[in-house]
Amino acid sequence: MGSKEFILKHSLGVRIFHYILVVSFVPLAFTGIVLYFKPYDELTMNLYMRIHVILGIVLTLDAIAFFLVGFERVVTFVKRMFTFFGDDVRWFTILGGYPQKFLLRKKVPVPPMGKYNSGQKVFGICVVVGGTILIVTGWALWAFPHILPVGMVLLFGNLHMIFGWILSIFLLVHIFLGIYMFDDFKAMFLHGMIPYGEAEETAPKWVKTELVKIENHV
Amino acid sequence: MKKQTYQYAESPFNMSRREFITIGGIVIALLALPAVWIRSGIAKRNSYIRARTKGLYTDDTQSKVRVSHGNTAVSKMYTDFAQHPLSEISEELFHTHHYINRRAA
Repeated sequence: MGSKEFILKHSLGVRIFHYILVVSFVPLAFTGIVLYFKPYDELTMNLYMRIHVILGIVLTLDAIAFFLVGFERVVTFVKRMFTFFGDDVRWFTILGGYPQKFLLRKKVPVPPMGKYNSGQKVFGICVVVGGTILIVTGWALWAFPHILPVGMVLLFGNLHMIFGWILSIFLLVHIFLGIYMFDDFKAMFLHGMIPYGEAEETAPKWVKTELVKIENHV
Repeated sequence: MKKQTYQYAESPFNMSRREFITIGGIVIALLALPAVWIRSGIAKRNSYIRARTKGLYTDDTQSKVRVSHGNTAVSKMYTDFAQHPLSEISEELFHTHHYINRRAA
């Protein structure tokens, strides 16, 4: 296969959703951590809370818009995230070969993966489930604490904190591996395309079963 | 500068209609369930207050004496000992001039 051939991995709609997700979630995680530790005076903490709320609204609108406009993409994503095979178990036993690569400078054979590898699937599940919980609990805690039962507000507060921490920690790993897989990084942030050869190596199942050859597109 | 092009894309037929409807339905149902749960939680949020109120009204209906000034023990105390409310002896014994400031504690 020629090395100059490309695959459209992330469509424009997905990329726009991801851009807004980046500009909203990264500062949301930061302000959330500041709000958790409360290191500043009351006035500054109020400012952080306002920023957190405004970005939360942006994130919610982004998620709702993508859910409505790209429902087919949401369904496809959910299917991919929640479908596990024997290869995924084998992938986890060697953690995708990343520790060997980073720590021992050794390349080990990795089981063939689909569009997303097993680690990305776990991250995807956390994003879908945790993101939904964060949005729902965030709105409940900000806008409706007075009409909710006390126990529910307490539960929502704890869930918001727990999933906020989980996604914030996952975010660091996601950013690191996202930049490490630089072709994928460029695809998500620039043109949406990855080289065919790269995809064949990292996602052979996807290349083999889910792609179609098309006429040249700009 | 030459624009980069792509020669491959995901097939739009990777998922059957049945699969799409099933997964889409599950996603929507899972999103709707918490909404139902929250709504029922809101509807029931003051149930313990209502139960307490109902209990108090039941107690009130069943009580022989329903007003504080009709309390026979208190009336007897005033008749035999403290004369009448706000009398000198009542003021001295029942009125206090100190209180715990819980906010300052």
